[in-house]
Amino acid sequence: MKTIAASTAISTSKFLPGFSAIVLGLTVILGLGFLQDANNYLHNAAHDGRHSAAFPCH
Amino acid sequence: MPPTTDGTALPFLAINMADFRKLVAVSLLAGLLGGLLLSLLQHYQTLPLILAAEQFETPSTEEHVHDWQPMDGWQRNGFTLLFNGLTGFGFALLISASMYWRDQRGYLYGLGWGLAGFLVFFVAPSLGLPPELPGTDSAELHSRQAWWLFTTAATAMGLFGLFLTKQRWLQIGGASLLALPHLIGAPHPEIAHALAPEALQQHFVVLTSINNAIFWLTLGAISGQLLRKVTF
Repeated sequence: MKTIAASTAISTSKFLPGFSAIVLGLTVILGLGFLQDANNYLHNAAHDGRHSAAFPCH
Repeated sequence: MPPTTDGTALPFLAINMADFRKLVAVSLLAGLLGGLLLSLLQHYQTLPLILAAEQFETPSTEEHVHDWQPMDGWQRNGFTLLFNGLTGFGFALLISASMYWRDQRGYLYGLGWGLAGFLVFFVAPSLGLPPELPGTDSAELHSRQAWWLFTTAATAMGLFGLFLTKQRWLQIGGASLLALPHLIGAPHPEIAHALAPEALQQHFVVLTSINNAIFWLTLGAISGQLLRKVTF
């Protein structure tokens, strides 16, 4: 069982800062890659970036 | 450094804001540098192909012809730079948080995490849904987005199980998760049709793959190196 602790355990004080960073990162990525607004402003602004990063577009 | 909310009854919920701020600062700088590099690569390599493909889109096939679009030139490139910088920030947050959790520093570890990000966010989704030029027919958007999300999540968990656990059953489970999205298969239209010539599309896939590989490895290396500059 020692190997589990060595490979996957995260000290409790380090859990939340890392977790918060991951939640923020995923929010930014998914927002930029996926959000569609009624007037397509966001889609058209992000268009070339989405195509080039292989996000599903259109 | 002690958590800033010392004295809480639940130490698990006492977030160390100083560490979080350092992760954000490292990721912001790495993301902006990586995004700038990717924008330069795209400007000279893939943007000409996107513009060429748009020549095949007549006003009747262009879906959003009446909507606002950034003007070609500085405005369009500016939004792409902003998009790349912000996605770079988001991706760098995932890299730096992973390294923070595992007490890793330096560009060599960063390159490893960059490679993992490239596999998760580019290679795995592209195997089923290759990067497309404008004017390419594809299946309904939401089904493709759902498959993209499922594939990135399964690939991330799969790589973790395969490489970062020691138990045989988790490694086998990880390998299965890597394969699962591709066994299910990506949604595709019943009749595929593209306006741009096939050669242009293939050229686009090759160039985006190279550009995204360079972007991810650079992003990982910069993030890892910047993590050396901060103490947690």
